[in-house]
Amino acid sequence: MKNVVIAGYVRSPFTPAKKGELVKVRPDDLAAQTVRALAERTGVATEDLEDLMLGCAFPEGEQGFNLARLIVFLAGLPVSLPGVTINRFCGSSMQAIHMAAGAIQLGAGEVFVCAGVESMTRVPMGGFNPLPNPALYQSYPQAFAAMGETAENLAKKYGISRRRQEEFAVESQRKTAAALAAGRLDEEVVPIVWKGGTVARDGCPRPDTTLEGLANLKLAFDEQGTVTAGTSSPVTDGAAATLVCSEEYAERKGLEPLARIKSVAVSACQPEIMGIGPVVSTRKALERAGLTLDQIDVVELNEAFAAQALACIDELGLDPARINLDGGAIALGHPLGATGARITGKAAQLLHREGKRYALATQCIGGGQGIATILEAI
Amino acid sequence: MGAIERVGVLGAGVMGAGIAAHVANAGLPVVLLDIVPEGVADRNALAAGAIEKLKKAKPAPLMSASFARRITPGNLEDHLGLLADCDWIVEAVVERVDVKQKVYRAVEGVRKPGSIVSTNTSTIPLGKLVEGLPASFAADFLVTHFFNPPRYMRLLELVAGPATRPAAVETVRAFCDRRLGKSVVECKDTPGFIANRIGTFWIEAATREAIALGLTVEEADAVAGRPLGFPKTGVFGLMDLVGIDLGPHIAASLLATLPEGDAYREIHEDRELVRRMIAAGLTGRKGKGGFYRLDSTGGKKTKLAIDLASGEYRPQREARLESVAAAKRGGPRALLEHPDQGGRFAWGMLSRTLAYAASLVPAIADEIAAVDEAMRAGYSWEQGPFELLDRIGPAWFAGRLAAEGRPVPALLEAVGEGTFYRVEEGRRLQLAVGGGYRDVPLPDGVLRLAELRLAQQPVARNASASLWDLGDGVLGLEFHTKMNALDEGVLRQLTKALGSVDGERFRALVIYNEATNFSVGANIGIALFAANVGLWPEIEATIAAGQETFRAMKYAPFPVVGAPSGMALGGGCEILLHCDAVQAHAETYMGLVEAGVGVVPGWGGCKELLTRWQTNPKRPGGPMPGVAQAFETISTAKVSTSAEEAKELLFLRPGDGVTMNRDRLLADAKARALELVAAGYRPPEPVELALPGPSGRAALDMAVAGFRASGAATPHDVVVAGALARVLTGGDTDPTESVREEELSRLEREAFLALVRTPATLARIEHMLETGKPLRN
Repeated sequence: MKNVVIAGYVRSPFTPAKKGELVKVRPDDLAAQTVRALAERTGVATEDLEDLMLGCAFPEGEQGFNLARLIVFLAGLPVSLPGVTINRFCGSSMQAIHMAAGAIQLGAGEVFVCAGVESMTRVPMGGFNPLPNPALYQSYPQAFAAMGETAENLAKKYGISRRRQEEFAVESQRKTAAALAAGRLDEEVVPIVWKGGTVARDGCPRPDTTLEGLANLKLAFDEQGTVTAGTSSPVTDGAAATLVCSEEYAERKGLEPLARIKSVAVSACQPEIMGIGPVVSTRKALERAGLTLDQIDVVELNEAFAAQALACIDELGLDPARINLDGGAIALGHPLGATGARITGKAAQLLHREGKRYALATQCIGGGQGIATILEAI
Repeated sequence: MGAIERVGVLGAGVMGAGIAAHVANAGLPVVLLDIVPEGVADRNALAAGAIEKLKKAKPAPLMSASFARRITPGNLEDHLGLLADCDWIVEAVVERVDVKQKVYRAVEGVRKPGSIVSTNTSTIPLGKLVEGLPASFAADFLVTHFFNPPRYMRLLELVAGPATRPAAVETVRAFCDRRLGKSVVECKDTPGFIANRIGTFWIEAATREAIALGLTVEEADAVAGRPLGFPKTGVFGLMDLVGIDLGPHIAASLLATLPEGDAYREIHEDRELVRRMIAAGLTGRKGKGGFYRLDSTGGKKTKLAIDLASGEYRPQREARLESVAAAKRGGPRALLEHPDQGGRFAWGMLSRTLAYAASLVPAIADEIAAVDEAMRAGYSWEQGPFELLDRIGPAWFAGRLAAEGRPVPALLEAVGEGTFYRVEEGRRLQLAVGGGYRDVPLPDGVLRLAELRLAQQPVARNASASLWDLGDGVLGLEFHTKMNALDEGVLRQLTKALGSVDGERFRALVIYNEATNFSVGANIGIALFAANVGLWPEIEATIAAGQETFRAMKYAPFPVVGAPSGMALGGGCEILLHCDAVQAHAETYMGLVEAGVGVVPGWGGCKELLTRWQTNPKRPGGPMPGVAQAFETISTAKVSTSAEEAKELLFLRPGDGVTMNRDRLLADAKARALELVAAGYRPPEPVELALPGPSGRAALDMAVAGFRASGAATPHDVVVAGALARVLTGGDTDPTESVREEELSRLEREAFLALVRTPATLARIEHMLETGKPLRN
C-alpha cells in the first residue's frame, strides 16, 4: 500500500466567538485564505489536487451550500478541483484526513487539501434551526446530550475534582503562553485579512489564569457540578488546513512531509459520556499500528473540557508530559470543524520538530464518538 | 434660525454627559467636548470615558445602548470646529464665572450665526455670565437648567436675559418641550431659580425641625414623604439619593447670592454632623452610606440609620407615629393638626416652607402655577406648594401663622377664605398676583384627561373604566382600577367602546390612561380566588372573553390606537399588541411577564408576539429563530426599559410612534388615530403561520433543560416554559401546515388552564399578591 504523509499544516488565528477579531469574517472567507496560504507555503502544484475535503460541524447559513466547493473558487484554486464538505462534528477535519488517506491508498488521487472551519460567531452551535426528532428526544434524550453535561458526567464517573480540572486548565494556559512567547506558533498561523484589517494573533489564550481566579468562577452547566467556563474550551472562530499526499508524490514534487500516517480509527460510545471517545479510538488505532501506548512520544489530545481530557488520560494511562506540548484547546480555542486538522497537523509538526518517532492525535466527538490518528516520523 | 438639528454639549461631567445622552435619545447627533486631561494619551479621554459610562450607568441615561453612537466625543482644544454645525450649544462646565466665560469666548469664535448658547448653571445669575461678552452673544444666550438625571427628571428651568432674542427662547422652549419631553418652566434670573430655591429651603427646614424636636431620621422621613405627597424617600433619604456633599455647595452659592433678609439665611445652619459625614465619605448612596446605610459586615445585611444627635449608626427602627396614621385618613391637614411629634414636625417644616414659597411670588415667577409645576417636575412632589396649601386650607394655614405671631405672606392674605386654584366653567383658574383669577396656561397642543374631566362628563363609565369624547370623532378609553389592572369591567367597557365607534359620532378609538402606569396587567387576585375555589370554567370563560374582546378590537373596522406610558405589563401589554397602532411615551416599560406568576400570556400575547417575530422580514430564515426569540422574551419575562427597547423586542412595531413629552401623548395618539382614518383605514388580514411543531418544542425543551441544570431555571420554570414552548411551536402542527389565529388562541387557553391548576403556579400568584415580587419556585 502507498504511504500517506502530511506535507503541510497551517491555521488561521483562533479568536473567541462573538468578541474576537474574527467576528466579522465570514467562515468561507476565513477557510479560503487559510487554504490559499497552505497552497502557497507548501508550493503544491494546485492543478494536481484531487479534492478539497473540508470539515464543518454546522454546515448551514454562511457555512452552507457545499462550502468546500465554494472555497475552491474563493481561494482562487483551479476550477477543476472538486470539494466535499464533511460533518463528524468536532472530528470533521480529522475525518477529512482519514478519507484522503483512504482515497490515496485506493489509488483515487495523490494529493488532497484536508481542511476545516467553524465560525461559532456567525453560525451558532446547534445551528439556526435546531429541530430534533421529538420521539427520539423522548425515548433517548442522551442522543442530544449537551456538551457541558457530558463533561459533568465524566467528572462524576471518574471522580475528577474541580481543583484537578483547574490545575489542568492552568497548565494548558501556561504551555500555550510559553509557546506563544517563544514564537513556536508563528509558523503555523496565517494572518487573515479583511476590510477591517489584518488578524494575526490568537485571541483566546488567557496567560494570566491562576488557580485562585479559576476557583472563583461560576459553575457553567450544573449548579451541583464542577465544570466552569475556565475548565472548558472557549467557543471559537477559526480554520485549519493540511496537505495530505502519497509519500511518493511528496518525494517526486519536492514537498517537505512532516509525518507519515500510520493508522486511523473511529469509535463510538454512550453519547452522555462522549468525552471518553478517544479511549477506544486510540486503542483501535494503536492496535492497527501494531504499537503500544508507551511507544507514543507526542500526543495531541483535544481539550474539549479538562474533565474529559483527564478522564481519557486516566483511562488510557497517558503520560501528561507528552500531551499538548504547545498547549491545548482550553487555552487556544476549539472551532469545531477546524480542530481535527489543527491537532493532526500539529502532531505531525511536533513530531518533526521534536525529532520523535510516533505521535497520536485524538479527540472526542458530540453524540458519543472518538477519532484517532497515529503518525510516524519519516 | 429654524429647528435644532445638531447639538453641542460642553463639559462631560454627570450633567453634561446626561444632557448629551438625552439629546441622543431624542434622535439627534451630539458633540460632547471636555478639556484635554493632563498625562493621558487620548486627548478625548474625558468625553470618551463619559460616553462609556453612559452605556453602563443605572438608571440608564440612554434609552438604547446603541444611541451612544449618536454622541461624538472630542476636546475643547482640537474640536471647537465641530460646534460650527451646532444649532444649540449647551455649556455644563464647572460653576465658575471665569471658566464659563473663557468657554463662551472660544465658542463665540466658531459658532454659526443665529445658533443658540445656553448654560446649565444652577447657581450663577445669567447677568453675571454675559458681562463683558459681545452683544451678539448675549442675544443668543440663555439658561437651561436641567435636573439630574436629565433623562428622567421632567423639569427644565428656562431663564432668558433682557438681551436674549425672543425667537431663541421660543426655539429652545419648543425643542425642550417636544423633542426632549421636558416640562419647561420660565423662571426669573434669581438665585436657585424656582425648584432649588424652594427645595433647598424645604430640606433645610425639615432637617432643622427634625433635630430641634428630637425626631429620628425614620420618623422625619415617615412624615416628610408619602403623607404630604413628597418623594417616598423623605428628606433624609432624598439627601442620601442626590448626594449629601451637594448640600454645602448649593447652600454656599445661595448664601452668596440671595437678597439680604431672605428667610433662608435665618434657617440655614452649617451642621457639624454633615461636615463630619462628608469628611468620612458618608455622602449618601454613591458613598459609603449616608443618613441610612446598609451594613453587610459578617455576611448579614443590616439596615442602619444615623442618630442625629450622636452621629452614630444604629439599627433602623420603623417609625410609629399616630399623626402619620391620621394623615392616611384625614390628609395633610390631619397631620398638621395632630399633637404628636410628627404633627409638630410637619407643621414646623411646612409652615416655613409653604410660607416661604408664598413670599417668593412674583419675585421668582409670575404665576403660582409655574412654582407648583417646578416642584412637581423638579422635586417629584405630587402637589406643588400652592396645591398643597389648597388641600390644607389656606385660611386655616394663614390663621395659624398669625396666631403664632408669624408674618403672613401677602399672597396668603390675598387668597383669604378662598383657594389658590378653582374651576370655573370647566376651566382651571389660578389666583393671579394682582388679584383675581386667570387661566392656568397649558402649552400649545397639550391634551389631557385632567383638563377634560373638568369640562365634560364621560360618555360612559363603570367602576373599572370610562369612555371620553376626545373631540374630532375620537373616543377615548381610560382604565381606573387599582394600578390600572385589567378586569371584567375594563373588558366590558372596551366592548362598549367598540360598539360606540359607529363611523358617525366616533371614527376611532384611543386607549389611554393618565396615571404613572398604563396597566400592570390582569387582576391576578381574582384568578387566584377562582382557582382556590375550583371555578375552572369561570377562569376559562375569562380567558376566552379577553381573547375574544381583543380579537374584536383588532379586526374592528376602525383604527384603535394604544397610548401607553410607564408600565404596560402582562394583559396591559397584550391589549397594546392587539392595537392597530401604538403611540408610546418614550418611558414605556412593556413586557409579557406572566411567566413570573407561573402562567403564559392567555389574552393573545403569545399569538401576537409570535406573529410579529414570524412575519419579521429581518429575522433569520427557517422555522425556529422567530419562535426562539418570542420564547426567550416571554419565558424570561423581559420588560423593555424604554419605548425604543420595546421596538427592539417587537412589542412595538417599527412604525409605532414615540412621544417624548408625557403631556403630549394623548394629543399625539389622537392625531395618529385621525391619520389612520384619513388614510382610509382597513382592518388587518388574519395571518396564518408555519410553525415547527413538536420538533421545535423538543429543541426548546432541550435548551430549558440546560438552564435547569446550570441553576438558571427553577423546577417550575421548566413546567411553565414547557407549556409556553407548546403554544409557540404550534402544538402538534407540522412545518408543512399553517396554523390559524384561532388555533393559537386555543393553545394559549389550554396552556393557561393547565398551569393555573398547578400548586406551584398558585404559590407564585399568592406570593406576587403578598410581596409584589416573583416567587422563584
